[in-house]
Amino acid sequence: MKGLDFKFSLLLDSIPILINGAKYTILFSVISIFFGILIGLGASLLKISKNPILKAIGSTYIEVIRGTPLLLHIMIAYYGLAAFNIKLDYFTAGVLALSINSGAYCGEIFRAGIESIEKGQMEAARSVGMTYGQAMRFVILPQAFKRVIPPLTNEFVAMLKDSSLLSIIAVPELLRNARQLMGTKANVWTPLLGAGLIYLVLTLPLTRIAYILERRMAKGGI
Amino acid sequence: MTFNNNTILSIRNLNKHFGKLYVLKNINLDLHKQEVLVIIGPSGAGKSTLIRCINRLEEPTSGEIYFNGEKIDKNTDYNKLREKIGMVFQRFNLFNHLTALENITLPLKVVKKKSDEEAKKIAYEYLEKVGLKDRANHYPIQLSGGEQQRVAIARALSLQPDIILFDEPTSAIDVELIKDVLDVMKALARDGMTMIVVSHEMGFAKEVGDRIIFMDKGEIVEEGEPEEFFKNPKTDRAKQFLSRIINI
Repeated sequence: MKGLDFKFSLLLDSIPILINGAKYTILFSVISIFFGILIGLGASLLKISKNPILKAIGSTYIEVIRGTPLLLHIMIAYYGLAAFNIKLDYFTAGVLALSINSGAYCGEIFRAGIESIEKGQMEAARSVGMTYGQAMRFVILPQAFKRVIPPLTNEFVAMLKDSSLLSIIAVPELLRNARQLMGTKANVWTPLLGAGLIYLVLTLPLTRIAYILERRMAKGGI
Repeated sequence: MTFNNNTILSIRNLNKHFGKLYVLKNINLDLHKQEVLVIIGPSGAGKSTLIRCINRLEEPTSGEIYFNGEKIDKNTDYNKLREKIGMVFQRFNLFNHLTALENITLPLKVVKKKSDEEAKKIAYEYLEKVGLKDRANHYPIQLSGGEQQRVAIARALSLQPDIILFDEPTSAIDVELIKDVLDVMKALARDGMTMIVVSHEMGFAKEVGDRIIFMDKGEIVEEGEPEEFFKNPKTDRAKQFLSRIINI
């Protein structure tokens, strides 16, 4: 039995490799949250649409993705598509899976944000002759965007952690590098604790920022 | 149908149902250019629904509305219609993320396609008209209810509508600030703006109202000159209602 085999000197040795992994974790998360926000915005607009077909498309996408695990989405993007000869490299497959997954969650965040804007704002915009699209673009969305910053920050935090699932398709992200270090250094606890520490360094400040923003908005209206 | 060319708005047999609720029952109404029409009545009488049917924030169940002699129907461009029919809301509904000035310039730029410079010039002009030029760069949250409502009136006016609908414009405003809003509305009336005002402000109705309509349970119950109506209401329902609001 090895027990708690943490060694500080080994941690210092492992740090560069872990940080290399963290770079991938951040890279995948930043790119994917960007696309996730775009997809989510689109999905939310579909879901609140009065057109029943568009509404069904938006709702179905959100429900299906949120009702199935991210690991499944990753495997479909990498292995599933390859079966149709769509062979994506791990980078494309990873970003695709994460973006589509987070798009569904961002979609719900945007929908809630848009619906939290008082009805009178849309009515006032329509009453001066704006179209629905103009009212959304110039009146509703700018106000909704402010309100969704805290939940989107939380979504990004979730993404930083969940991107560890990309290790299944050999993306050299933080947790995968930690696992490899377990083998090469013949040590369990040092790389695992090191990886955990880096995740915390990434997520804690963001969680804190989201919390402060949430508090400030709860006090100040918008 | 024929129109006196002084008629700006005609409502014929207008009905509105909200599910099982029957909120407007066979409303008929004509409005002349430059007329100030005041609508009063208990809550739930259908006053707001009636004026919201005029600019199609509500879709009537049946009946016709003619605006400037043209029937409003499915082929009408509602956005164009609303440029000509301004609306002022009970809760002001200023755009919360924009300053007083921007609240006025946004529709000018987006709807009227004015340049930024032009829009600002017009906005300042109308802010001055409502006495709030010095509040141009304040956000709604930094303005009192009375000030917000005056900005909302300036916003409606800046589009140069043919008629403005007021939906209980003073009922969400602190008593001591109501006068400023009413003064702006009175000035508008004197300038010849055509107005429909849902309001219980008797002083306003008597001073600038040309006609008053009393609504109850979705119907127009009584119609007359404000002075006469407040002094000698004919129907029991109007008498009952007036006795209640006067006693407050």
